[in-house]
Order: sequence, then structure tokens, then C-alpha cells
Amino acid sequence: MAVGLPPRWRKVLRDLLTHKLRTLLVVLSIAVGIFAILVVMGGRGILLRTFGDNFPKSNPSTGILYTSGFDASVLERVRLFPGVRDADGRRLVTLTYRVGDVISLPEPPVQETQAVRSKAIELMSSADWTTSRLELVFPQNGAPWPPPRGGVVLEVSDTQIASLAVGDLITVDAPGGGKKLLRVAGFAHDINSFPAMFVGHIRGYVSADTMADLGAPKAMSELLVSLDTTGLDRAGASRIISKIRDDVVAPTGVDVLATYVPDIGSHRLGDIFKAVSVLLLALGVLALILSGFLVVNTVTALLTQQMKQLGIMKAVGGTSWQITRMYLVLVAIYGALAICIGLPAGAFMASWFAVFAGGLLNFGPGSTSPPLSAIELAVAVGFVVPLVAAYVPVHAGTRVSVVEALNSTGMSGAHFGHGRVDRLLGTIRGLPRPVALALRNTFLRKGRLAMTLATLVLAAAVVMSVGSVRASILATVTDMSSWWHYDEQITFAQPVNARLAAREAAKVSGVSGSEGWIVAAASLRRGDGTENDALSVIGLPPATTFITPQITQGRWLVPGDTGVVVNTDVVKSENLSVGDSVSLKVRGVDCTFKIVGVARGQMMGPVFFAEVTKLDSLLSFQGSITRLMVRSDSHAAADQDATGDRLERRFSGLGLLVSGVQGQARQSESFANQLGILVTFLIIMAVILATVGVIGLVGTMIINVLESTREIGVMRAVGASHASIFRVFVTEGFVIGVLSWAGGVVLSFPMSWALVQLLQSAIGVPLTYAFSWQVVALWLVVVSAISAAASLLPAYRASQVSVRDAIAYE
Amino acid sequence: MPTRTDTGHEPLIRISSLVKTYDSGEVPFTALKGVDLIVQPGEFVGLIGKSGSGKTTLINMITGIDRPTSGEVVISGTPVHALSENKLAVWRGRTIGVVFQFFQLLPTLTVVENVMLPMDFCNVHLARERETYALALLEQVEMADQAYKLPSALSGGQQQRVAIARALANDPPILAADEPTGNLDSVTAESVFALFEKLVAGGKTIVMVTHDNDIAARVARALHVRDGEIVDDIRREK
Repeated sequence: MAVGLPPRWRKVLRDLLTHKLRTLLVVLSIAVGIFAILVVMGGRGILLRTFGDNFPKSNPSTGILYTSGFDASVLERVRLFPGVRDADGRRLVTLTYRVGDVISLPEPPVQETQAVRSKAIELMSSADWTTSRLELVFPQNGAPWPPPRGGVVLEVSDTQIASLAVGDLITVDAPGGGKKLLRVAGFAHDINSFPAMFVGHIRGYVSADTMADLGAPKAMSELLVSLDTTGLDRAGASRIISKIRDDVVAPTGVDVLATYVPDIGSHRLGDIFKAVSVLLLALGVLALILSGFLVVNTVTALLTQQMKQLGIMKAVGGTSWQITRMYLVLVAIYGALAICIGLPAGAFMASWFAVFAGGLLNFGPGSTSPPLSAIELAVAVGFVVPLVAAYVPVHAGTRVSVVEALNSTGMSGAHFGHGRVDRLLGTIRGLPRPVALALRNTFLRKGRLAMTLATLVLAAAVVMSVGSVRASILATVTDMSSWWHYDEQITFAQPVNARLAAREAAKVSGVSGSEGWIVAAASLRRGDGTENDALSVIGLPPATTFITPQITQGRWLVPGDTGVVVNTDVVKSENLSVGDSVSLKVRGVDCTFKIVGVARGQMMGPVFFAEVTKLDSLLSFQGSITRLMVRSDSHAAADQDATGDRLERRFSGLGLLVSGVQGQARQSESFANQLGILVTFLIIMAVILATVGVIGLVGTMIINVLESTREIGVMRAVGASHASIFRVFVTEGFVIGVLSWAGGVVLSFPMSWALVQLLQSAIGVPLTYAFSWQVVALWLVVVSAISAAASLLPAYRASQVSVRDAIAYE
Repeated sequence: MPTRTDTGHEPLIRISSLVKTYDSGEVPFTALKGVDLIVQPGEFVGLIGKSGSGKTTLINMITGIDRPTSGEVVISGTPVHALSENKLAVWRGRTIGVVFQFFQLLPTLTVVENVMLPMDFCNVHLARERETYALALLEQVEMADQAYKLPSALSGGQQQRVAIARALANDPPILAADEPTGNLDSVTAESVFALFEKLVAGGKTIVMVTHDNDIAARVARALHVRDGEIVDDIRREK
């Protein structure tokens, strides 16, 4: 001990060092609070910062025109259009690929292995990657750039769904016919592409030469436009993009199939990211409140124990301020120790979380240290909250007379028996004596009990709510799956004859039925001249058995129908209802429809459903379709994949280029994956918050028993056995645990409902609310086990102390 | 039976019409029913009575560690009943040394540190000299050889001696002791009492609560307390 240090400061130091278990508990409780806040808020901060750094660096476009094909001269004209900052062009083709060199292999057997199953790859080329101006792609780890001829640079997120490495070979079905080999030359990051896990296919970048070698047209297909966005909103941007289409691109003879204008400055995964961000923020606030409660509870418990010593110090002349300062310093040291543990641990976990989440969302590389604001918040919780929490009881303690302070610990039941709860407990008869004692003990210190319960109830409610959000997401996915009744859907690169497609499909083994659809991108002309280009039209037979639309308003399509049914996503974004007329531009054709019904949206974005023959005549398709919905004998994912492969081979063999094959099980999987990211985040957060709750519970139980050491002495003195003392405290812990669980269940109803509302408004998808009774049951098991176990250890320790020491316990 | 001063000047302790009522129970309980008392400097006063008579309440009023419901406690001209808790602590630290029945040493401080604590709080003596003063006090109570032990290593009698040394730390004129021998064996109790007699001979004023009739018979002035009132005031000639 430091020589020359005044005795009162020596006391502060010795209190820290002598009561090691207590110091550890208090420090751990505060550290857990710091940790939780840092992980949630810090993780969110890192994600926001990485996105904020990498997204603008990529020079994102304001809008995209999907065309039949254009050349550099069109690009030059667009660049000269007023309001345009820059323009760039890309060629994008979607192909199927197999891993390895399968050109020289014979036709694969029916039981194909996973490795050679065909999957989709999007290949993108630029006239010259080194001079590309918009939506820049950044090669990683020294990948060759521009991609060499015959090579493909894959997007880094491709590894989420495909195990491909540099040097691997893939065989693609070339657009010009036949199969071609491509070698994986490296990886690049493209923040403007959808992460592979979301879309279920991979993306690769090739040079214009390679694209030509594959037989794809030389012309560019996607026209990226960057506008001067100062003072521009989405509607304004949409107007300019439409003008570019009509006044610049169309006159050159280029067909614009669709346009895409997102919210200004928003990312393609904006909605999902917004959802993640909002959820993290909500959980961060809850973690903050929870940590605050935990810290206040722990510090209050600590100071309750110190009341007697506080009285002694007053009796020998200590002033309020002298004593208050001692305890504030004590608590500040606890806080500092907690920060030493919680800050590095929290920062480590936050960066782990940010790397994990950033990887899923494909935000790219960036610094992984939590932002200063999150660290400041965590430090404030570690320092300021305990100090404030300590100041209140210490200040109150220095105000009361010495006698009151001296009597405030020990056999603290002087006031028991006066309240309504106490009398109620007194009326419970027939309980075993130790249980009755435990029940009454639980309510002995009502203030403390209230604090403890508030902390534990909040922890329980947060864990249960997170569980319910997860259950709601899963319920939504299940709902979505019950909407679809196909086994495979085949998307053709060009319209194909419906009869031919159906006839050929029927020849494939395993296929039991099919139906042809026309699926096309559409833009809606609003009254004010702006357009909504993020729409699609599906032409299908009204009597389709491949979907079960849930009609919320109006009616479903009838044969020969001239009206359309919209889904709820359309209604939400466009404020339309049954009876309204809408003007759509589909594949360059203007069509007007009357809305006859509204169907529930199923995470497919805003969709117009039209009668297939009506759409056929409007678009002059002459009996062609773009998608074939197929039903097969087996609904298992592997069988769907195999049938899909056989279909694809059959159509390719006939020269009908297939741009996508999807089994329903895989599609559900892909939906589940998109929402699965949220579920994963939620589980990580739930585990962190549950840890806060559990450590809080353990701490509270241990402090409760320590506080009762003197009671244990008295019980021992009147003949209580170890077993009965155990029973008293384990029951007490159990009662507190179960009470907090019950409170948590009640609170988790509104909390989970609010979180689901928050989430669905963030992602713009209606979620099916489901309450997770599983998590409720799980938490009951956890809380009972932990509270009983947490009481057991200190009760055991206390029961080993001699009666004399127990009674003299300070 | 009230006692008045014969001389004109202010007594060391003057208590008048002191009432203390506790209302924490279902029925309010009056522990002191209008007590009047005067104590002169250098007196050795014993407050004697059975458990529940109000003697502990009375001494707690003198030390200011509890508050009267009504009435006055004036010590060396200071109206103790009117001081704030904070001022009370400072005043007490310098004016009254308190000795408790259960010693009440701080468990995490060594013996000598416990004695130095009041000096530290009241800023008495230079910081570097405090240990010397504390050791001298421990010498006086024959505890100097245990100075660097923790209280838990000491017997009850030894702890009480340390508590007395702590009470003397700031050299207060008054020593107030609540059943100081109540927890001690007769031999130890005798030595503690002898220590008190020595202190009185050295000029201290001591007010001591006891229910031990042997001890009561040996104090210079025995105040018998019953049912919240002083019923007898017996002075023993030296």
C-alpha cells in the first residue's frame, strides 16, 4: 500500500482489493454494458463509415437505361445532355456455367454431382475497363485489371455461394452458341452489384475481347447516367432520365427496354441496409438502457452494503463531501477497470461484426475500428452512469443520521410486514419453511428487487422480441413459399414460341406440366410527368395453378380480361386503388390498363398481373413467352435442380438461349437468404444482449447472497442445515428469475410488434407477425438454470463461514 | 430528576426538554420523554438502565448520531440539534470521540489507519505526523504492538481499545461510549474501565452507557434512566 496515502484513500484501495469477487462482479457488469453498446453502436458505425467511404468512391450512377444495344456515339450524345455529369456503357449477359472444363466431358449422368451442376453467371464487359467512369470496379489483391482475354475477374461476394479460386476454370454456355472456357483471373469489388447471396448467381468481369470471343454482340446494353444531383430528387432524376430516353436514345434507333432510377444516393441494397441499420440502432438504444440499468443496479447494491461503514466514517468526523468523494473515486476506479476490459473486447467484437456484416452486404474493405462517437458513448456508460448511480445513494446516505446509516444493513427486515405485498405473502400458507422464507426474502428489499427486475425484464424482453422478429421473418418466408406452386422456372434470353417451349419441356423426364408467361420490366407514367421504372408486368393465364394470389381488394383476372391486378407493393408506392387507370410503358410499347384487383405482395417488388393473351397482343409477341413455369414429379430441391438442368440442356440444344433456371426450393432459399442476413444479425444481437442479461442476473444473485451473509449466520445459529440454506437462496434466485421472465413475456409483445413494424417499414415488405414461444420457453430454461446456479455458488460460500464471522460480516 | 448548575457560566453539556419519538413501528414509541441534563467539564457520567430504557437514545442525542424530535442539546455552546448532518460530522470529529458497543472499526483498514482516519477527515495534525500521533495513542491503550494488523485479527477487547484510541484521535474534550464493556469479559472490561478513569484524571469528560451495576457503582456520577426519563442522579464522592 502506498506510503503516505491518507487512510481514507487506503480504504478505497483496500475495498477494491479485499473484496475481489465483488470487485470482479461490479467491473464485469459495467464492462458488459460497455461491450454491448460498443458492439451494436460501433458495429453500426463501422458499417456506415465503410459504406460512406466506398460507395461514393465507386462513382455510382443516378439512373440506368437497359437497351437493345448502343455504341459510343450514343454515349457521347448523352454526355452532352443538360444536367448530365457523365455517362458510361456496359454489356451484361447472363449465362449458365459449370465449374471445371466440361467441354471435353461426355453428357453428365442423371445423378450429377454438385460441382458440375449448372449455375448462372452474369458477365459484364466495358469497352475499356481502364477508362470506365461510373460504377467503378476495384480489383482486389493484385488481380489483373483490365481482365485478360479468356479470363474472368469475379466479384468478391461470389465466394458467398461458389467455391471458386484464382486459376479455376469454368465452362460457360456462350451466347453465340457452344461452350467456352474461362479462367478465374482474380477478384474485384463492385459495391454496385448485388452480393451473390442475395441474387443467387455470381457476377464476373471480362474484357470486350472476351465478350466478343463468347459471341455476344459488341454493342453495350446498359447505359449508366450520372446526373448533377444538387437539389435533385428522385422524381426530378426520373424526369431527366425519361427525357434522355425519348429525346436522345430513342431517335438513334436504340430500343430502351427499361429504365432504373433509385432514390438519389441510395445503394441497391439500400432497403436491406436501412433495415439492418434501423434494427441495430433500436437494439443499440435497448442495449444502452439495459446497460444503464445493470450498472445502476450493481452500483446501488454495492453502496447498500457500504452504508454501515459510511455511518462509521460520519461518526468519526467524515463530512458528506469527503465521504461522497471516496465512493465516487471507488466507482470511478471500477468504471476505469471495466473500460479496460469492455472497450478492447467490444471494439474487437464490433469489428468482427462489421467485417461479417460488411462481407454479407458486400460493402468492401475499410477501417474496422469503431467510430469515436461509439467509443465515447461506451466510455460515458462506463464512467458517467456508475458515478451518477453512486452519487444518489451516497448522497442520500450522507444526509441521514449516523444511527440510520448504521442500522441500514444486517438484519434489514425492520420494515418488512407493512406493505400490501408483504401481507399478501404472509397469507400464503402451507409452503415449506425455507420456501416461505425465500419468498419473503425476495421482497425484503423492494427497491433493489425493483431495480433487479427492471434490468432482467428488459433483457428478457429484448431477447424474446429479437426471437419474435426472427420468427416473423421466417413466417414471411413460409407465406411466400406457399404462394408459389412451380418446381422450375426457365427464363429465356429472347422470347420463344410458347407451344414449342411447352412441347419440348414435356419431353424432358420428370416434367409433369408447364405454363408460359410473359415477364417484362415496365415503367409507370405518373400524372405529373415523372415515371416509376422499378416495376414489372407478368402476363399469365387467369386460371393459373402456378401461383395462389391472395386478393386483398377487387378480383383476380378472368379470361379475356383487359384489366390488371396489382400487388400491394404497387399500391404502397403509387397510391393507386381498384378502378384507377394506369399508363405503362412495356418493352417500348405504351399500354393503358384499368386496375381490377389488388393481390398481396410477395417480395417480388411492385408487379402488374395481366392476362397473357392480352399482353401478347399489346406487345405483338405472336404466341411467344419469356418464362416457362414447370411442374415436375418431385419437389425436392436436388430433383428440381436436376430437372432444371435437363430442361436447360434441352432448350440450349434447340438453340433457345436460357438466361436463368430456378428451382422453387432454391428460390425460397434465396428469399430466406436475403432475410437470413437480418436473421443472422438478429441472432448475433440477441446473443450479445442475452449475455448482458445473464451476467446481470449472475451478478445480482451473487450480490444478493453476499448481502445476506448475516442472515445466513442467524439461520445457521438457529439450526439450519446447509441444504436448507441452499434451498432458501436457490428458491430466491429462482423466484427472481421467473418473475423477470414473466415480466419479459408481457413486455416482449409490444416490443416485438414495434420492432417488426420498424423493420417492415425499413425494408418496405409487409412481414407476417409471429410471436416466438420457442424463445420464450428457451429463456425460461436459461433464466431458471442461471438464477439457481448463480445463487448456489455464493450460498455455498456463505454456508462455509462460521456463524460468528457471518454475523460479523461487513 | 433535573439537575441545575450552581455556577453562572455555561456547562459543557446542556440538555433541555429532550424528546425522541420513533414512529417506524405500528405504534409510535417515545424513547425520551423530556429529559433535562447538565454535565460539567471533567465529569465521568454513567447512564445506567435496563434494555429499552432510553439510555442509548440519550447518548446518541449527545453525540449527534441521532436526531431529537424536540428539545435542545447544547455542547460547549454549540446547538447540536440544529446542525446539518454535514456540520455535525465536522463538529463531532473534533469535539466528541464515539465508542460503540460493537467497536465498528473499518475492516479493510489496519489498526493504526483506523486511528488515523478521524485526523484525516478533520485535517488534524500534519499528514506526515499523523502516524506518530496514532501510534502514541495506541501506546496509551497498550495496542502499539498490534498497530499494523487488520481488526479481524484482534480479540473483542483489543478491538475496543483500538476504538477508544480512534475516539481520542483528534483529542476531543468529550468521550461518549455506548456499552463499551458490554461485549467484553470481566478482566478486559476492567482494564477498559481503568483506561477511562485515567482519561478522566487527564481532564476528559466521559459519558458512558452501561447496564453493568458493578461498573455503575464506580462512576463519579450515575444517572439512572427508566422509561425515557432520568429517575436518579447519584454523585459519588471521591
